Amino acid sequence: MTTDSAHAPAATRTAESGARPADSRRTGAPRPRRRNGDTIAGYVFLSPWLLGFVGLTLGPMLASLYLAFTDYNLFTAPEWTGLENLTRMAEDDKFWSSVRITLIYVLVGTPIKLAAALAVAMLLNYKARGTGFFRSAFYAPSLIGASVSIAIVWRAMFSTDGPVDGTLNLFGINLGGWIGNPSLIMPMMILLAVWQFGAPMVIFLAGLKGVPAELYEAASVDGAKPWRKFISVTVPMLSPVIFFNLLLEMINAFQVFASAYIIGSGTGGPGGATNFYTVYLYTRAFANNQMGYASAMAWVLLLAVGVLAFILFRTSKNWVHYAGDSK
Amino acid sequence: MFRTLSRRTLTGVAALAATGLVLTGCGGGGDEPAALDTEEQITLNYTFWGNDDRAARYDQAITAFEEKFPNITINDTFTDYPSYWEKRQTEAAGGGLPDVMQFDYTYLRQYGDNGLLLNLEEYFDNGVTTDAIDESLLTTGKLEDGTFAIPTGYSAWSVFQNPGLLAEAGVEPYEGGTSWEDYNTYMAAVTEAGGGTVYGGTDTTQRIQDFELKLRQDGQELFTEEGELNFTQEELADHWKEGQENRDKVTVPQSKLEEINPVSGFGGNLTTSEMSWSNFLGGYLGDSGAEEITIVAPPTSNPDEKDLYRKVGLMQAASSSTEHPEAAAAFVDFLINSPEVGEIFGATLGIPASETQLEGANLEGPDKAVKDYLDSVEDRIGDSPAAPVAGFGAIEQTFWDLGKSIGLGSVTPDDAAQQFFDEASVTLGN
Repeated sequence: MTTDSAHAPAATRTAESGARPADSRRTGAPRPRRRNGDTIAGYVFLSPWLLGFVGLTLGPMLASLYLAFTDYNLFTAPEWTGLENLTRMAEDDKFWSSVRITLIYVLVGTPIKLAAALAVAMLLNYKARGTGFFRSAFYAPSLIGASVSIAIVWRAMFSTDGPVDGTLNLFGINLGGWIGNPSLIMPMMILLAVWQFGAPMVIFLAGLKGVPAELYEAASVDGAKPWRKFISVTVPMLSPVIFFNLLLEMINAFQVFASAYIIGSGTGGPGGATNFYTVYLYTRAFANNQMGYASAMAWVLLLAVGVLAFILFRTSKNWVHYAGDSK
Repeated sequence: MFRTLSRRTLTGVAALAATGLVLTGCGGGGDEPAALDTEEQITLNYTFWGNDDRAARYDQAITAFEEKFPNITINDTFTDYPSYWEKRQTEAAGGGLPDVMQFDYTYLRQYGDNGLLLNLEEYFDNGVTTDAIDESLLTTGKLEDGTFAIPTGYSAWSVFQNPGLLAEAGVEPYEGGTSWEDYNTYMAAVTEAGGGTVYGGTDTTQRIQDFELKLRQDGQELFTEEGELNFTQEELADHWKEGQENRDKVTVPQSKLEEINPVSGFGGNLTTSEMSWSNFLGGYLGDSGAEEITIVAPPTSNPDEKDLYRKVGLMQAASSSTEHPEAAAAFVDFLINSPEVGEIFGATLGIPASETQLEGANLEGPDKAVKDYLDSVEDRIGDSPAAPVAGFGAIEQTFWDLGKSIGLGSVTPDDAAQQFFDEASVTLGN
């Protein structure tokens, strides 16, 4: 037992702060009266958030966990069906196609988006006139990007004889409209996501500012070329930021909804090519009235993203270097 | 869309809290509903689906109603058809349906059987006048426990054509009511003359109504009396395969239609003809900006068969949880019967079901054309199919989505038929 040694400093500390040592010894954890008051006050201040969390997040989540094992059509009471939703999911071709579409979007889109964000962040890290303007300009798409109006504008831009098609025609590339073409809609969706690289860019920029200049100087003295400096100094020093952005963007990409819903007219069109996981979930829930199935899909997504995040965390030990690490 | 939803949800919650008290008071049974109070200030929420044209008409109708009932204020909102039902489903589950709603026959059973709609029968001849409404149309709103919606009017499946575009293409219009070969020849001629900008029509196998029409021409229905699918997977696959030749060479490419969605190919001036319900005429005029649109009978493989039917589409219904059932019934009555509303809407909600409204409608121009069309196909109009099964809305949408996917080449007719049957069996609960 290590109780005694653990308590010794605690007792000293409470003695210093003027509380009764006997009290702290009995409970095992030193909690002076004044602190108790603080705790209550703290919870009182926290209560608006706490109420919202329990009422609007935790409650619905638990409800959906229950519904995931039921057949619920919104009109009649849910009927317990056990694992039937999951077995149906396993045999549902449209479900697997939505998984495939979403994975392509995440696995292709996220790295491109991060690469673009990093590249622009490095450009903006140079001290030059007007960087403030460019920073805002590059960030702007992210501010408006998730909005419905942008998705509508993109629809128009990528239509037959729209600006994109027109420009490509000038170069002799005749692809026609992208919106109605099942094989071009995914590149367009990825482009739309990449275009909104502002948030990771700002974080990268902050990370770049934190890389000590002397490391670059030392590398220069050793005769390193820019590419070498990037690989051996920038990337390792930036790895915690890269990891953070990767995790966040991956989770966001899995949840893409608004743009896919607008561009695919809410039905996963054209030809099911924008039938993203969340769009399919929405269709099942609100167009087909299969709330139980949709709830099961939501939980499968949560677990899948959780597992992927866990894997990322495990691999991060090998490539993420924190300042002050002994490695 | 989410902003309006959340605001409505909030008012819904408030309304729900309030109706809890009202319901306990009214639920005693048997009592005569109270007469409409003309002193109390009442606000009713009303919602409908449609386009700007319809919204402008509703604005006028609501103004007329508010003049007649100065103590009642109507708050109206509208959306397009698919999101309309998505919102209603959520509200139905949360208990916050609007007081009065534009309703669809397709969803009647689902809502009516689950106690979500006000039984209007309690207000017959006591707020809602039914004398002027054609009996066969009135009964379409009837379920086992009462009458839960009243049709605004009726329509029938038809072929629309755009004479302006046809003149440009230099092709004679389709005369209507002849063989499918004639119609296909007509479409092919337009597409050839259109040079890739104008097409003769849209895939005539894409929608469930297309399939229903062909089934009825063979003396068959979509559903059995027990509400099960009345055709085989092979028959469906064959139906879709029949359209392949037209899809390859004649009808407007689906990729072009995806771009202009939710406007249709005909509404977007991409095609010179399209099959749809006859009450779409007003909407088509608005969407296309065409000066004139004509309406003729669909082609048929069997002229002796009564393949068409009077389709009750739009209805008006009230929520069972409304705080002001008398006011809601009065508004429904006004929308169904009043001559003013007839004058405002013409035939855009179908040819009015109520005689008084039909007289007020004073049909002229395009509306007259719809009425003339319906009169002209009298011989082909047979019995209406049984009330749509619960979940028909979802089945109809699935059919259309698959039809579009076939058009894009992303699924074969055989696979689509398989998917349709899988989906239908889940929806119909087999």
